[in-house]
Amino acid sequence: MRAVVKNGVGVFNPQGFLDGAASNAILSIEDIEATVAQNADMVLVSLKKVIFFNRNGLDAFVKMFHKVRAANHTTVGFCDYDFKKYEAITKFYKDDLSFSLFKTHEVATLFSSNYKNQNKNILLYSEDKSQRAAMAIELHDNGHNPIIAQTQAEFDEKAKVENAYDIIITETYLGQMGQKVATRVTGNAIIYTVSSFLDAEIGNTFNIEYHNNSLNVGFRLFIFDAYKVVSMNVHALNFFSKLSTSAAEYNATICFVGLNFDKTPKEFKDNLEDSGIMFFEQMDDILQDKELLRELGASSAANIKHKRALNKITVTELPNFIDATVATIEMMTNSQAIKESAKVDDIHIEKRENTIASSIGFYGDMDGMVVLIFPKEIAKKACELLIGEETDDTELILDTLAELVNIVGGKVKTLLADHHISVDITLPRTYLDISSLLEIVQDKKGVQVDLSFNNDKFVFFLTR
Amino acid sequence: MITKEKIDYYIEKIPPAPKALKETLMHLNSGDLVKAATVAKEDRALNNYLKVLVNKPIYGFKNEVSEVSQIFGILGVSRSQQAVYNYMLSLLSPSKWVLFKLNRVVFYNLQADLSMNWKKILEYLSIEDKDILSAISLLPASIIVSEALFAEKKKDVTLLRTVHNIDLNTILKRLCGVDLFDISQSIAQKWEMAENISSIIQASSGVKPANDAEINKLGKWMHLLLFYTLSQPRYIEAELNDFIDFQIEYVGDIYEDFSKLMEIS
Repeated sequence: MRAVVKNGVGVFNPQGFLDGAASNAILSIEDIEATVAQNADMVLVSLKKVIFFNRNGLDAFVKMFHKVRAANHTTVGFCDYDFKKYEAITKFYKDDLSFSLFKTHEVATLFSSNYKNQNKNILLYSEDKSQRAAMAIELHDNGHNPIIAQTQAEFDEKAKVENAYDIIITETYLGQMGQKVATRVTGNAIIYTVSSFLDAEIGNTFNIEYHNNSLNVGFRLFIFDAYKVVSMNVHALNFFSKLSTSAAEYNATICFVGLNFDKTPKEFKDNLEDSGIMFFEQMDDILQDKELLRELGASSAANIKHKRALNKITVTELPNFIDATVATIEMMTNSQAIKESAKVDDIHIEKRENTIASSIGFYGDMDGMVVLIFPKEIAKKACELLIGEETDDTELILDTLAELVNIVGGKVKTLLADHHISVDITLPRTYLDISSLLEIVQDKKGVQVDLSFNNDKFVFFLTR
Repeated sequence: MITKEKIDYYIEKIPPAPKALKETLMHLNSGDLVKAATVAKEDRALNNYLKVLVNKPIYGFKNEVSEVSQIFGILGVSRSQQAVYNYMLSLLSPSKWVLFKLNRVVFYNLQADLSMNWKKILEYLSIEDKDILSAISLLPASIIVSEALFAEKKKDVTLLRTVHNIDLNTILKRLCGVDLFDISQSIAQKWEMAENISSIIQASSGVKPANDAEINKLGKWMHLLLFYTLSQPRYIEAELNDFIDFQIEYVGDIYEDFSKLMEIS
């Protein structure tokens, strides 16, 4: 069984009866290796559809937790259980509860650095005082407003108040939390949150692959939220200097916000500035200054230094890309695709209203970017398969689109592997309108294929 | 990917029950085991199937049973009917499985495991009805139908399921408006199986509770039995564990009884 990964959270969904034999059959060595390779920020095992488990049944997953955690500093644990299951797990692992327990998947995502919706009012209670404090700190760090009940009576009283809290947390336990550098995306800027002492460990906790993928898909502004950094040593200085140098190749900018130099040598700042890093006191100094954002590349990625032409390998493999795209969209919409035209040129989009787009990069033996431009109707139809109903919720449609383009990327990867071409895919990116897409691709030459699905026009664009 | 037309075509090409089987079932229905065995002897494949099935360890016979008349005699009317239905369903199974990592032996084992435990359940519920006993034979139809419809699209389905937790039954329902259990029902109708067999199978999906309380109760037991069986390592390895969604809430009220009966601890 493989984990389903969404927004950096990988979830296993076993079903039925989980004893030792079943767990070992569910989770092979290859599955564990694949989970490590996925490099998710959080790996969970949902017990929602497990009606029976025993200690042996959970042990296989706990072993997997240890491996994933050791390799990637990932937060790991079980989720989606009732009180009876919670009691059983805490009893089984009384002296060795090194993983986390989240009552629901939604609760788990509150502790994930990739969680998009912040500012949740959260009532929380745990019998264990240190757990209460740990949860409150994590939630606060992730941008929420935790309210701690100190006693069961206080919790019962507070929980009675209708609509006072977005989420109530009980029967949750934080094991060793992930030590990864928290990441969030604001517009076209990526914000990393760093804290306490920055030393050589930053090389392990910073997800360099995510960062490189972000550069590949067109992000150009990276902000380190460093309000909570106490000090930095020379190893961290070297790390950030190198990061900035490599970002410069993409014409990307790295900034630090809120970093104070009370306990960090002042000359470090000069060194970092020499390598191109900028310093700001407040986050709003950047995010609220549209002019500055434009200069730093966060509102436009058109200032890419290296415009690269399509190469022979990309063109040779073009049919694979188109097949993968068409097959995926046909599968998701259950409609037949008709290829209308193909040309090598700058991207040309006739209909811009009610059109959304997504892109995914690939790199390895060959590199480039696939851009898919959808009429909203096709995206909505694809949503119907994944969520089971029609929706006009734009965020949900964009999320689905990201899943769809992820499937396309996965299929491309498989098809190319059949031709002994090894590539990795980046995170998918979505665009609410065509103008934001054009900022990325308007001056790039590529292959444009116009397709029609039940008379809805759809554009496929492959570029480098 | 999968269209309603493809499903209609699939149902259409399901052959009607062979004449010998129909006659065998007719005699079993009237309780005449001797005539049933005489007709069944004409179908060598049925003979062979019954021999393999009843000699599986789960049936618990000490000595090998080889004659059809002997098999029917030992099994009795109800279980003989169940065994013949199991055979009919096996006729639909592919010679080579693609979507699931199955083969003939594992599939027959699955039929045997389900049949024996269903009998145990019906005894526990004090139900003596040969059609209800035979209903379990139709349950693996959902597996055969999944294989037939999704095998060509295995890679696509696998990719889809790596980014979204969705089962095959839901995919089919959302794409075509019918699900695996509707198609299983069509098979039952084509083979003129008793109507309550179809009703129990529909309820056993866990997503379509029946209005009839008795049918619904049987549907719950069958749903839980299916997932109990599919949680065995050999079926997990065959990738059968998550092809449909386990509806844990649906079976909540019978779980205690089920776990006692199956001695789960």
